[in-house]
Amino acid sequence: MAKPDFRVNDLRVNIDGKEILKGLNLHIQGGEIHAIMGPNGTGKSTLASALMGHPHYEVTGGSATLDGEDLLEMSVDERARAGLFLAMQYPAEVPGVSNANFIRQALNARLGEGNELPVLKFHRMLQEKMKALSIDPEFAERYLNEGFSGGEKKRNEILQMSMLEPRIAILDEIDSGLDIDALKIVANGVNSLRSENIGFLIITHYQRLLNYIKPDYVHVMMQGRIVRSGDATLAEELEAKGYDWLKAELGIEDETVGVEA
Amino acid sequence: MTELNTLSGQVHRVSSALGEPEWLLALREEAWKRFVEMPQPWIEKTDLSKRTWDTGTFSTDVEKVPQEVQAYVDGIEHSYALFVDGLLVDLKLTDEAKAAGVVYQTIHEGARLNGAVWRKHFGTVVATDESKWAALNAGLFVGGVFLHVPRNVQIEAPFETVYVWTGKEFGSYPRSLVVAEELSDIQYVETTFSSARDVKVASSHVLEVVAMPSSRVHVAAADEWHKGPTYFLTRRAKVEKDADVRWTVGDTSDGFGVETIENVLQGSGATGLIRVVGLGYGREHFELTASMKHVGRNTESEIVMHAALRDRANTIYRSRTEIVKGAVGAGSEQHDRMIMIDGTARADAIPMLLIDENDVNRCGHAASVGKIDPTQIYYLMSRGIPYAQAMKMIIWGYLSDSVDALPTAGVRDLVVERIERELGR
Repeated sequence: MAKPDFRVNDLRVNIDGKEILKGLNLHIQGGEIHAIMGPNGTGKSTLASALMGHPHYEVTGGSATLDGEDLLEMSVDERARAGLFLAMQYPAEVPGVSNANFIRQALNARLGEGNELPVLKFHRMLQEKMKALSIDPEFAERYLNEGFSGGEKKRNEILQMSMLEPRIAILDEIDSGLDIDALKIVANGVNSLRSENIGFLIITHYQRLLNYIKPDYVHVMMQGRIVRSGDATLAEELEAKGYDWLKAELGIEDETVGVEA
Repeated sequence: MTELNTLSGQVHRVSSALGEPEWLLALREEAWKRFVEMPQPWIEKTDLSKRTWDTGTFSTDVEKVPQEVQAYVDGIEHSYALFVDGLLVDLKLTDEAKAAGVVYQTIHEGARLNGAVWRKHFGTVVATDESKWAALNAGLFVGGVFLHVPRNVQIEAPFETVYVWTGKEFGSYPRSLVVAEELSDIQYVETTFSSARDVKVASSHVLEVVAMPSSRVHVAAADEWHKGPTYFLTRRAKVEKDADVRWTVGDTSDGFGVETIENVLQGSGATGLIRVVGLGYGREHFELTASMKHVGRNTESEIVMHAALRDRANTIYRSRTEIVKGAVGAGSEQHDRMIMIDGTARADAIPMLLIDENDVNRCGHAASVGKIDPTQIYYLMSRGIPYAQAMKMIIWGYLSDSVDALPTAGVRDLVVERIERELGR
């Protein structure tokens, strides 16, 4: 299979009639890790949710394709089956649905009818991946995210990602609320998946995560678009100097687009 | 008076067809008189003014057992009784139960062959004059079982009464009496297969359970009430000292019904649990009250009700806890949760606490009505699960605990199949 090829062109997105993304461009290929940084309220999470197809977000212009297929024409589940994955900042809790059952249904939906993974093989694989992420084996039978701590939810998102093996994975503030040990575990989970067959888009507020996951490209978002792109050194520069110098350079006074992160 | 005379002809017809003794005919006639005298009942959320009290005409012709039901009954390995329109078609009592001295026969045989126990308990749990429909049932009861479990008999395999209601032009009036003597431990199941009917009749079903001291009874039901008749269902247990009565009722209906499931925790230390799992669809109107009446000291109860509603179904679930004066140290919990799958459905979850005793151990209630959380649907879909499957997974997440509590694989499968059928549309 060819390397994943993910393109976003001039993407424009509204929430409640207000434009949040104002023409965003991005090109990610398999094997690459892109990081999007930026202050709160600049549209980073809107980008993640709009690409996944959250019903609250209205795409008003531009395009998004994965391997040449138009993502914007697809329903949320079709996007996922095409290979898009979003590790959510605030994943929903679903009582009564066990974690294992959820992941198995998701995996089988992705594999398609007739290609379902045998139950035993699935459970062996699940337990292996859970071990790698230091997740207690009993979490397999816990209800999906119900009563999970913030860190447990984040690890559970990474677990799903490693089970589903997406072609493009977007991690939306996967580092928020994690202590340093949990952060390392999550970073290891991401690094172990790194290959030509997957491209990453890592959305983060802090450079800290990028000490553990080395990005190939770093983009800075302000006012609903990417205002500067560079390599990993850009992230280090931002960590050292903050955002103000960049704002001054770009002549931006208010970097936000009027929404909460 | 014309009405009374004409209609009470039904009472005579039923009683003579069943070859009943004089005393039983007298009991029926008295009940019928009460039925006719009692005023039209008023129920807060259920308008009965356009419903009939007609009964249709009793006949002894036995309809054929539908294939689906025969296949179901063929799979039963425990004791069972099969009724078609209230008329007994088949009854099997296992050797184990027979050897233990269990009596399992029709309610009519019970009156004839075990009159002493029968007369001691009949009507003591569901009184003839407690409601117009209870009186109707006592006047016209046809079908149902008399189950008498001797002292200290514990049998894991359930006793299952299977009812088939065809399109016959006669209301359904089954009545069962379960008497569990001291220290006994049993499971009793009622399974219903009914068809939609054009006939407008008032049906009334009654189940009385007497749980003697330190006995344990699990009552389960797989119900389906289809449109046509008005169904009045009264199921109640009297729970004596240190006895425990659990109910697990799975209901998939599109009909019109009013049901009460109640434990009267009579003795001290009596405990009870009522679990209801419902799926309403079509133009269902169903008002169900799960009730715990605490009379004895240190009694404990729990009510768990879950419903999912489709189409234009209108379901009212009441969870009712009554703690009478003197029921010191009572503890009770209520959980009532209803989900409207379609925007056209309507649900009411009504918790009721009637407490006349100051010394209550605990009394908790939680009730909620809502739609499926769209963020849950989005989350499941974001992992590749199609909408319809995501919706089913979330609904089963609510319902599965209660379905799992049903006592046999056969009943569980039946309820799962009925719910799947309506969720999968």
